[in-house]
Amino acid sequence: MYEKEKDLIGAFLRGEVDRRGLLKGLGAAGLTAGTAGTLFNMMSTEALAADFDWKAHSGKSVKLLLNKHPYADAMIANLQTFKDLTGMEVTYDVFPEDVYFDKVTAALSSSSTEYDAFMTGAYMTWTYGPAGWITDLNEWIKDSSKTNPQYGWDDFLPGVKASCAWNGQPGGALGSEDAKQWCIPWGYEQNNLSYNKEMFDKAGVSVPKNLDELLTTAAKLTKDVGGGVYGIGVRGSRSWATIHPGFLSGYANFGQKDLNVSADGKLSAAMNTAESKAFHAKWVQMIQESGPKDWSTYTWYQVGTDLGAGASAMIYDADILGYFMNGGDNKMAGKLAYAPFAANPAASAPTPNIWIWSLSMSNFSKDKDATWYFLQWATGLEHAIFGATKMDFVNPVRASVWKDEIFRERLKKSYPGYVEMHDISAPGAKIHFTAQPLFFDLTTEWAATLQKMVAKEVPVDEGLDKLAESINRQLAEAGLG
Amino acid sequence: MEAMSPLERILRGIALTLVVIFFMFPIVWILLMSFQTNETILRIPPSVVFTPTLDNYAALITGKLQTAAGTLDIAFMRNLGNSVFLSVVSVAVALLLGVPAAYAFARHKFRGSEDIAFTLLSFRFAPPLLVLLPLTQYFQWLGLSNTYFGLIWVYQLICLPLILWIVRGYFEDISADVEYAYRIAGHSWFATFRKIALPLAGPGIAAAGLLAFIFAWNNFVFALVLASADKQPVTVGALAFVTASGIQYGQIAAAIVLSITPTLALALYAQRYLVEGLSLGAVKG
Repeated sequence: MYEKEKDLIGAFLRGEVDRRGLLKGLGAAGLTAGTAGTLFNMMSTEALAADFDWKAHSGKSVKLLLNKHPYADAMIANLQTFKDLTGMEVTYDVFPEDVYFDKVTAALSSSSTEYDAFMTGAYMTWTYGPAGWITDLNEWIKDSSKTNPQYGWDDFLPGVKASCAWNGQPGGALGSEDAKQWCIPWGYEQNNLSYNKEMFDKAGVSVPKNLDELLTTAAKLTKDVGGGVYGIGVRGSRSWATIHPGFLSGYANFGQKDLNVSADGKLSAAMNTAESKAFHAKWVQMIQESGPKDWSTYTWYQVGTDLGAGASAMIYDADILGYFMNGGDNKMAGKLAYAPFAANPAASAPTPNIWIWSLSMSNFSKDKDATWYFLQWATGLEHAIFGATKMDFVNPVRASVWKDEIFRERLKKSYPGYVEMHDISAPGAKIHFTAQPLFFDLTTEWAATLQKMVAKEVPVDEGLDKLAESINRQLAEAGLG
Repeated sequence: MEAMSPLERILRGIALTLVVIFFMFPIVWILLMSFQTNETILRIPPSVVFTPTLDNYAALITGKLQTAAGTLDIAFMRNLGNSVFLSVVSVAVALLLGVPAAYAFARHKFRGSEDIAFTLLSFRFAPPLLVLLPLTQYFQWLGLSNTYFGLIWVYQLICLPLILWIVRGYFEDISADVEYAYRIAGHSWFATFRKIALPLAGPGIAAAGLLAFIFAWNNFVFALVLASADKQPVTVGALAFVTASGIQYGQIAAAIVLSITPTLALALYAQRYLVEGLSLGAVKG
């Protein structure tokens, strides 16, 4: 029964037929979507199992610590596939994002053996790695006896993969030869423009192409859309998270850095250059003229909520925030569009800073080999395709998912400009911060300085000079500068 | 009682109304929000005119939450159950241990009594996280991590000192002569404690118990650090509505309404004892 269909799926899994051909073929054979899905899952499980002993840890159990996020939901929805494939049991704890990292830090700092693997951001591994709380995953990735030959480590987007690897040396380049792979990228966010098409049409403006245009467009939107709508939403709370999205993406586009690394590995503040001051001045002016009234309290949630509720006309923030706001019960669902953004008119392409939700292995895991089985499945291509086409596992971190026609068409249909935005900005997408242990302290101070500038408590030039002075002092005290 | 002029009465009425509006507005607003969808809550400008919906409560009770990213499973009712269980049992244990201890500290001066009492009080000074991280390790060794028993034990850090110190004040306020009289009549120490001291300090004990319950109910960090997701109280569970794909304001409001209901009901029921008890303890004779 279904032999012909199985042959077709087999041909697809061997790469002989593309997904479009597969679906057409299955449709022609009169298979319902449900049956086709079951067959496909069965066959992909068989294909995955073909050259690798997935049952090596059958009967074992791993426990995960997860953040309440669409990525975790996608994994949970597909978890039975892993259990069937390996015969392993997986339990998990899901905690709300607001307290998630407190839970992770508490578990790791107390050497808890409860969790084998957990979700993390790449920035966090700069603390967890040197502290000895997480494992260098190269040991497993490079071991052909422990990793499925079809895993496709080269399939990961290079900038994203490199951003999860650091040699532990303050100022050490991410993804260097001697870097340790502290986590495996799972899903990631680029920072670009998400905007409200209707409001843009109403105000008669087009998508801005650089920082100067962003300022004028945002100001015109604030003036002309009416109803209290403001031009641009960006984050402003006193937190490192204010610096890392649009702000650092635009800043890096001008070739500016957070820190200088000298030849002997010493770090020093790099944000008081003339170019940096010019960028800061424009950013501050943009918020003062066209930002939200209570900008200094704005986090991910407020920026997103305002776009979804029609209180703002555009955001320069995570692309998936704009993605989420275009669906669900948001008032502006279906009215949003996306565009890549290069702040520097002289730059050839955008350079978005990125946030990467990744998976790490706890150093206190009781069975690291078994845990690695879960990690390689969860970050594998099959799950990525499942998540990207059936759930909201967006943005995928694997190049082949971005080439998948069904995925691209799904995005093109409901998220205008999203695929093009990603294609244009992905080559320049990476973490633009300097990896070092004081990351959170220094970027939070940077955000605090930005707040003072926007509130006109300190002029931009003076504020940046003082910030650089303070950062240099802290680096010296920590033996880094 | 002095008679009030009509003007005074009107001014007094206005002042009272203003005070009530000031204090009740956030609660009423949350109550209204709990019957609205996200879209009506986020209307610009906000309005009190809307078509009420029970969807938020239905989502909480059925455990299925609709978001921009699809249906999410939520465990709010379980969180609510955990809060009730942890708070009630913790306060009961603290009353069982704390009230006799408070009586002992109030009535019997023994060597080191003040030191012991102060040590117990000092548990309240310790920053929870400082205590919790080492405790996580001890709990793992003892097999207590991720158990209700372990959590209730740790909740004694909140409840026990509070009950002990408040109730001690009440016992000290009761004249010892009443107890001596009862003892002279041939009753035992324990009978005196049970029949005389306990009833006299009743309002104080009720007030202390209620306060301890409120503190336990509002606790956030103990279960977060020491237990799995299935043992989290409502304070942690309510955060589940703040997701990467959006904030579910309606469900947050409904969750707040449901989570304040038990404490509110208890406080209203015990209001008389609370006021009486707290004011008794406030002035020491």
